[in-house]
Amino acid sequence: MMDGHDSISDGALVKAAQQGDRDAAACLYHRHVDRVHRICYRIVLDGSQVTDCVQEVWLKVFRNLGRFQCEKSFAAWLNRVAANTAIDCYRRWRKQGRHVGIDEVPAEALPAEESRDAQSLDDALLQKRIHEALEEITVNQRTAFVLRYYEDMSPTQIAQVLGCREGTVRTHVRRGLLALRAKLTGQPVTRGSEK
Amino acid sequence: MKHARFSLEEFKALFPDPFGSQEEMLKEYEAFRAILEQVDQLPVPELSVRERAEIFRRSWPEPAQRRARVWTWLAFLRRPAVTFAAGLVLGCALMFIGMRPQTETPEPIAPEQAFTVQHAGHVKTYEGKILQALYPQIENPRVTVEKKQEASKPRRVLQGTLDKGQVYVLWNL
Repeated sequence: MMDGHDSISDGALVKAAQQGDRDAAACLYHRHVDRVHRICYRIVLDGSQVTDCVQEVWLKVFRNLGRFQCEKSFAAWLNRVAANTAIDCYRRWRKQGRHVGIDEVPAEALPAEESRDAQSLDDALLQKRIHEALEEITVNQRTAFVLRYYEDMSPTQIAQVLGCREGTVRTHVRRGLLALRAKLTGQPVTRGSEK
Repeated sequence: MKHARFSLEEFKALFPDPFGSQEEMLKEYEAFRAILEQVDQLPVPELSVRERAEIFRRSWPEPAQRRARVWTWLAFLRRPAVTFAAGLVLGCALMFIGMRPQTETPEPIAPEQAFTVQHAGHVKTYEGKILQALYPQIENPRVTVEKKQEASKPRRVLQGTLDKGQVYVLWNL
């Protein structure tokens, strides 16, 4: 169905989808859905909620596709929608007291029963610690961190996503890094990286 | 994730305060790089094929859903309060149009069609649409301007008919 669309630019696919072309929309979706899922997962940190979050992102995207200007970057717009939706979802679920606890690390993050030797147990514990560390930092810090180091976005782009200044983005990233380090290594930070 | 973006320059920009020594700074930089690499180890579970298909199916508005949306709008417009408000607005608009002062202007007549002049000695006869507009009750109106001599006072006479040519009109202007 989508083989013919593989070489087509995002802009052309968006234009076709705006005209109601389902195949073009499907191609656009399959091209970007994994990235959207990664962003949502790393911000929401809850495997049971992430599917709903991804669906909410795509609902917003398709509902507002008619207003999207094709000369702009679709990927950048999508990142923005994904990050903001994930932040909203996370806050909503936190409010409902449904955030992932320490003992609720998703099953897929843990190794299979038969391969649980000492090494894989260590890995599982490490993943659990990373999960906890990411959960400890604020959602804005996590979003800035994820978009900066996983999605290669510049501080300017992240500032647009979060609706704040570039300096604030740097502060979020710095504090996020410091908190992750403190949580993961238990090491006190030295003078230069203290503030 | 390759942390090409977490360069030493970026580290220095994030932590601009001075370190004890260059070695200490590099040690700190490496420590943060190690943290990023550690965070990479958190796997992101992939969406299954079924989940992907389901998300798209629920997100993409099918024609039936679009039609349903139109019906939703129609249902909204058919609510009594909305209908009343729309009627009020429409009524006001119609009243505004109706109450506007009428400023009808007669259709302009092209200069070449306005009138013709015929010369016969000292008599000039004017005919045309402009005279019909000036004397709409008279059929085929024409005005003759006659001078006995060049210097004498002109005599202007309006000529025409009434009742489909049954009455001949002659009127000194």
